Amino acid sequence: MPVRAITDTYVFPSSSRQELYGDDQLVHVLWRGNMTLCAAACFRAPKAMTWSAFLTEMVEPWAGSDPDYVPGSARDWVLDGRPFTPEPDRTLAELGVGHKSLIEFWV
Amino acid sequence: MAKKLPLKQRYAALTRDVHWEPSYVDPEKVFPYTSFEGIKIHDWSKWEDPFRLTVDAYHKYQAEKDKRLYAVLDGFAQSQGHLTLSDARYLNAMKLFIQGVTPLEYAAHRHFAFLARYLNGAGPRFAALCQSIDELRHTQTEIHTLSIYNKYYPGFHNWNRMHDRVWYLSVPKSFFDDAISAGPFEFLIAISFSFEYLLTNLLFVPFMSGASFNGDLPSMTFGFSAQSDESRHMTLGLEAIKFLLEQDEGNVPIIQDWIDKWFWRGYRVAALVAAMTDYMLPKKFMSWKEAFELYFEEQMLGGLFPDLAFYGIKPPRHVEHAIGEKDILSHQVYWVLYQFSFAASFTTTVPEPYELDWLSSQYPDTFDRFYRPLWDKARKIQENGGRFFFKGLPQLCQTCQIPMAFTEPGDPTTICQRHTVYNGERFDFCSDGCQWVFEREPEKYVQAWMPVHQIYQGNCGGPSVPEVLAWYGIQEGDNGEYLGSVEHTNWQRWHATAPVGS
Amino acid sequence: MTATPAQQRPRTVGVDLQQNSEDTRAIVAAIERDNPEAVVRHMPGLVKIQTPGRLVVRRETVEELLGRPWETHEFQLAIVTYYGHVDEWDDDEIVIKWSH
Repeated sequence: MPVRAITDTYVFPSSSRQELYGDDQLVHVLWRGNMTLCAAACFRAPKAMTWSAFLTEMVEPWAGSDPDYVPGSARDWVLDGRPFTPEPDRTLAELGVGHKSLIEFWV
Repeated sequence: MAKKLPLKQRYAALTRDVHWEPSYVDPEKVFPYTSFEGIKIHDWSKWEDPFRLTVDAYHKYQAEKDKRLYAVLDGFAQSQGHLTLSDARYLNAMKLFIQGVTPLEYAAHRHFAFLARYLNGAGPRFAALCQSIDELRHTQTEIHTLSIYNKYYPGFHNWNRMHDRVWYLSVPKSFFDDAISAGPFEFLIAISFSFEYLLTNLLFVPFMSGASFNGDLPSMTFGFSAQSDESRHMTLGLEAIKFLLEQDEGNVPIIQDWIDKWFWRGYRVAALVAAMTDYMLPKKFMSWKEAFELYFEEQMLGGLFPDLAFYGIKPPRHVEHAIGEKDILSHQVYWVLYQFSFAASFTTTVPEPYELDWLSSQYPDTFDRFYRPLWDKARKIQENGGRFFFKGLPQLCQTCQIPMAFTEPGDPTTICQRHTVYNGERFDFCSDGCQWVFEREPEKYVQAWMPVHQIYQGNCGGPSVPEVLAWYGIQEGDNGEYLGSVEHTNWQRWHATAPVGS
Repeated sequence: MTATPAQQRPRTVGVDLQQNSEDTRAIVAAIERDNPEAVVRHMPGLVKIQTPGRLVVRRETVEELLGRPWETHEFQLAIVTYYGHVDEWDDDEIVIKWSH
């Protein structure tokens, strides 16, 4: 349903669109089955970042906010609703991670 | 002096009789905003103002209300009343109030002034004018009241700047911006009806009773003083909806759609109130659940909606989700505030054992099972010299802008994830309600100023937490853990040196 | 706190008044006298009054209990909130009820 507006044309760009982040994009990561961390994290990550760098530089320091997190224990990855096997040396873009993608894992 | 007219005639003479029909300017040009929303009004004179308040009576009683409030403020300040609060941490609730609610009063003042100019009918214009002045009074009395605490406690400065910038305050701010940027009739349904009539009791009544219970007489007094105006505002909301429904049958589906939208928007904002009610009042008075059952389920769903059924209006869409959340809402939201208070202008702490027991008694089905273990864990971390914080930024809901901590209906352990792809871009939501609101008007919500996204775009002072906090206007001592904080140590010092018996 | 009232019962209307003055005490007493079925709850700083169907505040009763002239507009100094529809507000009485 369109916005009912006083003008005939009501068109504005998204304030969170990918181009505002240059070569980077936003990526959401959710630790399933964990109630300590209250929500998924949002990261700004280069599209060209490798999975292993993403994991050790971004995901694990965040997951480690919960002292029960054991580095390397994340498993059963899901990308945008589909099971997914991350390959450490491939980039986020190559793995199909897009702007505001949701990555889920269990431990 | 001439004999006073009876109330009804006096009201007519001072309100309706000062109205005129424009003769040499097209009415469409005088009132350009009341047609584009699709609402049809055939006879503006059918508007009833049950309070029949006139300018002279308005001034007289508002002056009396202020006189009473300022007598309380003076007495409280002179007697060092802040030392008789239940605990210093109580004031965190009032910090949230001045940062989150007071700026909304000012926004309401501005927009009701706009309605006082742009509604076609004299009755609703006058009601909007009174409300505009009321809202300005509320803004001023709240600032004045809480300035008493600003002398002694951190977190009360810079609230206006914070309202524009800080992540959790974007929740109430974006709610009101959404209403103000709608047309005048949607604004009336959004603010006057859905917020003031349906939900405002949940904010003011139990909360201000809580203020009274915790020794905060000034806040209780401004709260009830504001709320006494609120009963007029509620009447405006109810009158607006009845008037619009009676004017044209074609208005009914438009109004229903707005009720559906604004109930959910308002309910999500009220989530902050749920956390304040259950966790931020050291002396407990009424749980969020009990307040919700009494003021919303009994009074609104049980009383109001059967009345509106006459016009074909149904209870709001997604209301069953709100009812389903009453056992979990406050716990989820305070857990968010606890782990993000390093980036807030208030402090949080693990509830005391007596508070945990009270929460168990109020929430027997959920608290011990889901939430007490989290607090036990947080306490253990603290006993080991740490403090649990979320080291990062959270995913936010594109509609309500709250971190996406809400859970699937009926399953308090699974975070709810919804998303919609619009123009090739993905947008995330905390609930079916927020997703539905977005999908009605995606062109509007794609523009949302999402605090986390803005930080990552470099628009909030810099990439590091200290830079963002500086840009927010949050100073050392405003934020973080309560135990050992400036306010906590001051409070202990002030009470340790107080003479026995005081 | 008393227990939450049962959800299923005749539709009530009600007002919450500030518990702040002699005036309010007289108004509460007047409401109780004119609405025999009223249920009154005391909360911190607040008096909650609920009645089935209809609630009336009569000027004459308030004046009698207050011992001075009282305008119905003065009710605005006492009221915190209400639910129901303000059906009548004139010089002599205030009536709150549902319309349908």
